[in-house]
Amino acid sequence: MAAPLPKRIIKETERLQNEPVPGISALPHDDNARYFDVMVEGPGGSCYEGGVFNLELFLPDDYPMTAPKIRFLTRIYHPNIDRLGRICLDVLKNNWSPALQIRTILLSIQALLGAPNPEDPLNEAVAKQWKENQAEAIKTAREWTALYATAKK
Amino acid sequence: MSRDETLSEKSTAVGLAPYEDARALVRLIQCTQCSRPLRQPVTLPCGNAVCRACLPDFHERANISYPDVPARRRGVMCPFPDCGREHPASDCGVDVILSKALDSIAGIMAEHTMSASMITTIMEEIRLDDTEALDADSEKPKINKRPWSRLVATYDIAAKGQLPYECDINYIHSTSTSDTGRAMDAAVLQEILDSMHREVDCQICYNVLLDPVTTFCGHTLCRKCMARAVDHSLHCPMCRRSLAIPPVLSRHPSNCTLINLLNAMYPETMTSRAEAVATEETGGEGELNTPLFVCTLGFPHQPTLLRVFEPRYRLMIRRCLESNREFGMLMYNRYGEPQGDLGPVHFYHYGTMLYVTNAQPFPDGTSLVETQGAYRFRVKAHDVLDGYSIGSVERVEDVSLAEEERLEAEETALPPAEEGDVAGHIDRMSTQELLELGQDFVRRMQGRSAIWLRQRVLDIYGQPPDDAALFPYWFASVLPISDEEKYKLLPTRTVRERLKITASWIRRIESQRW
Repeated sequence: MAAPLPKRIIKETERLQNEPVPGISALPHDDNARYFDVMVEGPGGSCYEGGVFNLELFLPDDYPMTAPKIRFLTRIYHPNIDRLGRICLDVLKNNWSPALQIRTILLSIQALLGAPNPEDPLNEAVAKQWKENQAEAIKTAREWTALYATAKK
Repeated sequence: MSRDETLSEKSTAVGLAPYEDARALVRLIQCTQCSRPLRQPVTLPCGNAVCRACLPDFHERANISYPDVPARRRGVMCPFPDCGREHPASDCGVDVILSKALDSIAGIMAEHTMSASMITTIMEEIRLDDTEALDADSEKPKINKRPWSRLVATYDIAAKGQLPYECDINYIHSTSTSDTGRAMDAAVLQEILDSMHREVDCQICYNVLLDPVTTFCGHTLCRKCMARAVDHSLHCPMCRRSLAIPPVLSRHPSNCTLINLLNAMYPETMTSRAEAVATEETGGEGELNTPLFVCTLGFPHQPTLLRVFEPRYRLMIRRCLESNREFGMLMYNRYGEPQGDLGPVHFYHYGTMLYVTNAQPFPDGTSLVETQGAYRFRVKAHDVLDGYSIGSVERVEDVSLAEEERLEAEETALPPAEEGDVAGHIDRMSTQELLELGQDFVRRMQGRSAIWLRQRVLDIYGQPPDDAALFPYWFASVLPISDEEKYKLLPTRTVRERLKITASWIRRIESQRW
């Protein structure tokens, strides 16, 4: 009875499985094809290197006209990500375009880990530390990565 | 071919065969100006394409003061006689998708023309019968010879500038090689189809482009995808440039080069795609095919005026106008009251089907939609389609006249109600008395110049109807009481029941007054 899943979502999901992006994975839930378990590796050379971050991603009813809803599940020390895992990223908000896709959004998030932007903070405390004592902030980010984002199992 | 056949073929795409229709296939990608395969094609605002180099020289446009942006100050005269208008320079961007498609065709053709094949194609040029072209008749027909199969040979003479756009070709028959040639052309076309396939997908729906429209910055989407993108943002989804596209896309011409090319090359895909879209837009093949607008209360035979601004409802109204112009209006269930089998859904499950009588779009993309209530319905099941609700609905009909009469006779024969039992008293009134009670009330209120009966209101809703079945809908439309109270009219099955509800409102208002 349910409205069928748009072809766009089916194709995007297939391409994510068949042509995966290194360091990124997104798997839809069996019972909800619009809900994805996402894994993003911290980019090499950043203070998140070696970390494996889990995120949840949801495609709203009018996707791709509106951006996917996405949030970090793994705790992360980053000026543009708050305690609830919400991400401050222009392409997830006003700069979303229906020509973007899950793949490009996850790459943007990975790039955000490589280039924290304390000038446009979501987490004021982290951003303050980042601006005042960057070395200390990076150290904390490394510690958190080791503590919360080290691959289990 | 009869006229009927021509018409029926318009709805389905007709493919072209690589061998038999080689000339026609090559013409699809020839520039009308230079006759070579289009190079860096520009799709103009009129939907026609020319090579960038074939555009006439830009000139300063005269008498243009709005919008005064540098790129619009210069323009070209459209080289297509069926258009002939002036296009601003800013609207002449290279068509990205067409460009890529032509590049992949050129690449494949280049490979095939690297070496000679066993086949020779001899082509005799036939000039179109033109009354003025008397000189052409005196010339000997030009003969071209190429060591490849028809499609490749024809492309090659076009690429060399030896095949004028309007010329046809007489292929000089050679029986020994026609089967091999046919097979080779089929293989070449298949190669082109495979390589072009990914280029001609819409970047929004990921399907092959259906009725493509091209922005002035050269980006192409399906018309319906473009319309949805414009609902959300007036920027190009591809390059974010501000789109000078009117909110009503229907007047924006399609990219006819791409349409003709896709129809000729992927006829089955294009036909089934058009059919699939029609099904998808109504929510699939199931019963969930009524678009639902959860917003306000509407009544049968009464007008409802809506200001549509949310992107999802702009889409819904647009689809509505393309189909039967009807959608279901439901009231928002703000207290989360249970709705029968559906449970505490976000809407009240009885609603009114509205028919769009007029939709006035504004430049900012919002629109004013005038509707007329058609009939009442109940939602049996619901789902979401592209952000708005859809449902399967069941009409709510009044009982038969015989049953209506039986009920009236039964209730009016009851022993008199006790003093002060307002509801009991209303129950025993005849249907005609109930109507008169309402009409009297309206007359009295008009006498007292009630605000809700001012001329402005009556101009919209009209005078109170004489029909007892409809009076309550009119009364509810003008009476200033809560929508939750008025909603009680929607599930009713008899005229009496509705009139009894309006009578109870009147008694309550009267009791508050003194």
